[in-house]
Amino acid sequence: MNIFWHELKQYRRSTIVWVLSLCFIVLFFLSLFPVFSKDVETVRKIFESYPVAVRDALNVQIDIFFTLNGFYLFIFTYILLTGSIQAANLGVGIISKEAAGKTFDFLLTKPITRTQLITRKIAAALTLLIVTNIVYLAAAVFTANTVSHGDFEMNIFILISLTLILVQLMFFTIGLFLSAVLPKIKSVVTVSLPLVFAFFIIGMLDSIFGNKVRYLTPFKFYDPAYIIKNGTIEFKFLLIEAIFIVIVTVAVYYLFNKKDISAAD
Amino acid sequence: MNVIETKKLTKYYGNARGIIDVTMSIEEGEIFGFIGPNGAGKSTTIRTLLGLIYPTSGSATIFGKDIIEAGPEIRQEIGYLPSEVFYYDDMKVIDLLNYSASFYKKNPQVINKRIGELADLLDLELRKKIDDLSYGNKKKVGIVQGLLHKPKLIILDEPTGGLDPLIQQKFFSLLKEENEKGASVLFSSHILSEVQRLCDRVAIIKEGKIIRVQKISELLENNYKRFKLDTATKVDKKFFANIKGIKDLSISDRSVNFLYRGQINDITQKIANLDLNNILIEDPNLEEIFLHYYQ
Repeated sequence: MNIFWHELKQYRRSTIVWVLSLCFIVLFFLSLFPVFSKDVETVRKIFESYPVAVRDALNVQIDIFFTLNGFYLFIFTYILLTGSIQAANLGVGIISKEAAGKTFDFLLTKPITRTQLITRKIAAALTLLIVTNIVYLAAAVFTANTVSHGDFEMNIFILISLTLILVQLMFFTIGLFLSAVLPKIKSVVTVSLPLVFAFFIIGMLDSIFGNKVRYLTPFKFYDPAYIIKNGTIEFKFLLIEAIFIVIVTVAVYYLFNKKDISAAD
Repeated sequence: MNVIETKKLTKYYGNARGIIDVTMSIEEGEIFGFIGPNGAGKSTTIRTLLGLIYPTSGSATIFGKDIIEAGPEIRQEIGYLPSEVFYYDDMKVIDLLNYSASFYKKNPQVINKRIGELADLLDLELRKKIDDLSYGNKKKVGIVQGLLHKPKLIILDEPTGGLDPLIQQKFFSLLKEENEKGASVLFSSHILSEVQRLCDRVAIIKEGKIIRVQKISELLENNYKRFKLDTATKVDKKFFANIKGIKDLSISDRSVNFLYRGQINDITQKIANLDLNNILIEDPNLEEIFLHYYQ
């Protein structure tokens, strides 16, 4: 448990910053909802003048945009983006920081196996992500309730919000994998930011890739329109994600167990 | 019983040589020196024993257990001090030491007491942040960190760099104390005099291979000294001609330089006849030892 608590402490400050950022984004954007929904006709005209590709890229679906959940979809893109950076940072950094700080020597000469070390670190990261999502969800539901005066479908809203952690888990796993295969990572953000933005840009190009874009980027993996229509997350995609995470995580354990920890100098 | 036993331990980094067929054994209760120039493979051997890197071939046991299969169990009883220490900069010394202690299945009160004793002895401030410590003080954290759980085997990889002579002295007597209480020590260094002071036996490693394992007492018997003389006038080469045990003699304008092995009195009496400005007698460096002992 000592490693677990140590990691929680190490990431305490940055996690607070990420949580506050997410809460701020949802609070700020959702509080704009009354402005948009007051003047439906004008806003509709503005959006209709945009090409469909642009609207899709911005995640604006005109037929539902003026409901709270439709509006939430539009801003949720940025919530996902922010949360993904947090998760990718954690994934890339939580093991590789020991290499960058040359503290692997300290940890791995202790009576633990590498598997134990990785497991405890992953457990700490998952805890941080779960805490982030709980606080975020509370803030989001509270704000949604306030701005819509309770006039929205809460369960849909919560389901959409839950895709945040699902997408975060993918980025966390990809980050872990990168930290296992890349040689020494000096700075976490030089890996995590390009990773997240590359996928984000792929996600904006769905007019090129069509529906297949879902398989190319975590950002489009869960279809919120489906959630709004059916009131559930697509099981097939949950399954794909689970399989993806298991395979990559096994690879991460394997790679780290094999790795030589080169001398500090 | 042997505390450490390696059998044809070999490590290649890709094509680069690490160590080749290192076979040695360290007996329980001894202080074993591991000496060789930089890049000879000392750290590679030690890091392999600790499970930080994996051998290409060969095997090793510590406390009779395989280093790979029983790694965690073995490390329960190992204290390790690397040549350069790196810790979490934003932690306080005491927090880091407590974190380190938390890995061991030992009575926390005993460990806490030990941390206090060691910190007092080494004059280490426990409340400071790691980041604010000087290099030498970080090294002290390393010493405390390596000894706080009273390990049965202490592995030191060129540990003295950055320690001032006083602390070095305390550190050495600490090691001797631990040794008397039963701990075995593997001490790697490229400084012969350090090893001479401390060790019972020494293995000499060169270009990845153990070229000799010998008792320190034997090593001292054929011990060369390096003499450097500054003379008032140029010395004739014939002056040293009939002295036994002189090697590597070089005479320039006003200086004489040679290695000597034999009775110190003989050579000092001889030198007394010279008009000297300065004299320096020192241990030859390792390169010289390799050159002259093991040609």
